[in-house]
Amino acid sequence: MTPVPIDVLDSHLRKFQKELSAGTVSLALLAVLGTAAEPMYGYQIAKRLEQEGEGVLSGKQSALYPVLRNLEGGGLLDSFVEPSVAGPPRRYYRITEAGREALTGWSAAWRATRDSVDAVLGDTK
Amino acid sequence: MNATVLPTTIPEYLEQLRRSLAGADPALVQDALYDAEEYLRSELAENPGKSEAEVIAAVAGSYGAPDEVADIYRDTEVKVQSALRTPPSRPAAPNRSWAARFFGVIAEPRTYASLFYMLLALATGIFYFTWVVTGVSLSAGLAVLIIGIPFLILYFGSIRVLSLVEGRLVEVMLGERMPRRPLYSERGKPLLERIKELFTDPRIWATQLYFLLMLPLGIAYFTVVVTLLALSLSFLVAPVLVWFGVGDAGVWIDGVQIADWSTWQLPLLFVAGGLLLFATLHLARGIGYLHGQLAKHMLVKSAQVA
Repeated sequence: MTPVPIDVLDSHLRKFQKELSAGTVSLALLAVLGTAAEPMYGYQIAKRLEQEGEGVLSGKQSALYPVLRNLEGGGLLDSFVEPSVAGPPRRYYRITEAGREALTGWSAAWRATRDSVDAVLGDTK
Repeated sequence: MNATVLPTTIPEYLEQLRRSLAGADPALVQDALYDAEEYLRSELAENPGKSEAEVIAAVAGSYGAPDEVADIYRDTEVKVQSALRTPPSRPAAPNRSWAARFFGVIAEPRTYASLFYMLLALATGIFYFTWVVTGVSLSAGLAVLIIGIPFLILYFGSIRVLSLVEGRLVEVMLGERMPRRPLYSERGKPLLERIKELFTDPRIWATQLYFLLMLPLGIAYFTVVVTLLALSLSFLVAPVLVWFGVGDAGVWIDGVQIADWSTWQLPLLFVAGGLLLFATLHLARGIGYLHGQLAKHMLVKSAQVA
């Protein structure tokens, strides 16, 4: 049996990560803003997620900006713009009431998914 | 133009991003540029010791190179938007007033699709009826001959195909979800087995019955739609013509006028025409729904019983 070429494996992994991140990024963003004491702007959120590890974003922090905008469009976040010392004005985001409710529902769904996937995976190495 | 060379200044990065996003929604481009600039400038402010080129080189890994960013925006925008969007439901019925529900029917595409299906049903009904009657009688007549067998099989096969075609029509025009593929069970079985299944499948008999039914139904649908539409439109137009002095409204039978609408009756006629028109549209929707159910039960459901 010939071993699977490493770049094929790599592209499979990248595709899988992309599919995973489609939903989890939204959840992670809501969670970050749900626990934040004050409104945060994009760069701060990106850095905050970076501290937690690469898992959620699978590499590209630009991926969270469109999601932020879509969450705002869906009424789960709201935002305001403030001038900054360095560079262009910054858009700050904070979670809305609807966002908090969504976060509760989504976390429950996430836990259920995680548990069932874990159970199915068993002790796969 | 060489997009693979990493830009060394923020304006250059943004310019590359703009070029990579060429053709995308202008609103999306604007957002992407804004986000990138905010991120890059924040990163620059966080690392006072580094030059712009160094920061951008570092950021290419975490934030992404311009064309990567462009791809991400294109993908994510579509994916997340469709995931987050609330399903396009009609405004919840209880919240709408009686009048809004009654008159709203005119703005719904489904209404016109149903109307068109009812008109078309005359043509398809005649075709299906002819097909089934011809097919059945030829099959029966030829059954005594040797060519009768392949003909019979061919005819039954054609019913399956027509059933899918009718399913498409029903799904597109009446909005009832219908099968898009033939039954899976017939794959991988020996030919004789498949042929036997063709004749023992209750669905094939229900389908033929449905096709026979389509003739009277099609005639009825067509007649109802044409009559009601003509009646309500003439009720609507007649008063207008009288008011403009173009015509004369009344009821004639064989050239003898048996009724004349007086001036005060004309507005009533107009209103009645309007109401009748909306009632017709509702009727079309209702019939469309019922027919969708009928089609589903006769073309699809019976297969589950087997």
